[in-house]
Amino acid sequence: MFKKFEEKDSISSIQQLKSSVQKGIRAKLLEAYPKLENHIDLILPKKDSYRIAKCHDHIELLLNGAGDQVFFRHRDGPWMPTLRLLHKFPYFVTMQQVDKGAIRFVLSGANVMCPGLTSPGACMTPADKDTVVAIMAEGKEHALAVGLLTLSTQEILAKNKGIGIETYHFLNDGLWKSKPVK
Amino acid sequence: MTNEDVGTNSVADRLQVGPREGVTYPIQMKYCGHCTMPIEYCEYYPEYEKCKDWLELHMPDDFERLKIEEEAAAADGTDDDKKRQKRGGKGLLRVKKKEDVPKRICVSRAARGKKKSVTVVTGLSTFDIDLKVAAKFFGTKFACGSSVTGDDEIVIQGDVKDDLFDVIPEKWAEIDEDVIEDLGDQKRT
Repeated sequence: MFKKFEEKDSISSIQQLKSSVQKGIRAKLLEAYPKLENHIDLILPKKDSYRIAKCHDHIELLLNGAGDQVFFRHRDGPWMPTLRLLHKFPYFVTMQQVDKGAIRFVLSGANVMCPGLTSPGACMTPADKDTVVAIMAEGKEHALAVGLLTLSTQEILAKNKGIGIETYHFLNDGLWKSKPVK
Repeated sequence: MTNEDVGTNSVADRLQVGPREGVTYPIQMKYCGHCTMPIEYCEYYPEYEKCKDWLELHMPDDFERLKIEEEAAAADGTDDDKKRQKRGGKGLLRVKKKEDVPKRICVSRAARGKKKSVTVVTGLSTFDIDLKVAAKFFGTKFACGSSVTGDDEIVIQGDVKDDLFDVIPEKWAEIDEDVIEDLGDQKRT
C-alpha cells in the first residue's frame, strides 16, 4: 500500500481534528487495542490536538501533536499502527511470526503466504480473519511489517496455500521513510 | 507469565499480546543510519556492507555483537540456507539510487526597486535542511522578511549576503563556509 508512497506527492491535505472526532478515534483505538489502555496517553496525549493527513488511494494518516505518523487506515478499515509506533509499543497488536525465508519477500512488500506462517520457523497466535497483525520474524526481535489477516489462522493451517496476511506497511516503504509532518 | 510457559514454548510466549514485565515503554529503538531499519534487519538490505560501515562508525558495541554472532553462525558450518527450502524468485529489495547532486549553496543579491535589494539563497535543501525552518530563522536573525519562494530557494529581504557566510555555517555545523558560493548581483528570475 505504501510501496509507492511519497510524502510530497501523496499527501493531499492535512486537517486539524475536532475534539469530538478525536475522542471518537481514541475510543475506537482503545476498542480495537484494549491492551493499549495504559500507554495511550503516551502515544496520543489527551490534551494534544491531532491531525489527519489525507493521502491518495483513500489512505488516512493520524498524526499526533509532534507530527509523527502514529496510525493509518485505508477507507473505513481498522486503524493500524505504524511500524515506528509498533517498535516502541510492540505488545498491543496480535503478532504472527514468519520464518526466515520469508523475510526478504516481506521486506520488498510481498503479502505473506500461508506456508511462511506454518513452517517450523514460524509461529502463529490464533486470530480471526481481518485482524490487524504485526508480522515478526524468526530470530528477530522487532516487527517488520503490519498487515491484515485474509484468512483466520485455522484456515491458514488447513489450507496452507495462497495469501495469509495482506501486507499493508513494511520496513523501508514510503510511510516508513516519510518524516514527521510539520 | 509462569515459569512453565517460558520453558515449553518461548516463541509463542514472545508473541503474546500484553505489556511485558520489567520493560518500560516506549522502548528506545536503535535504527541503522544507512538503511533506517532496525539493526537486525540490515542483513536483508542490498547494501549490507555500507550498513556495516555505518554501524562500525556509530555503534561499535552493536557492531561487535553482530560480528560475534556472524562468526558463530559461520562456525556452525551448516548454513541456514541449507536447512530451509529455497523459494522461487529473487525477492531482493531494489535500492533507489540517491541522486548525488553537488552540495553547494549559492547566495546572490537581486535588486528590488531602485535602492533596495533582496538576497536569494539556493541549495539549502541539498543538505536536507527544512527550508521553512531556515526561512524563519533568517527572518528572525536579520529582523526582516524571509520566505520560501521555490523548490529550493529562499528570498531574504534586504542585503544580508555578507552576513550569510558567517551565519549559515554557524547555524548548521555540517555546512562549510567554502561550499557557499557568492554569485554576486543577479537579476530576479
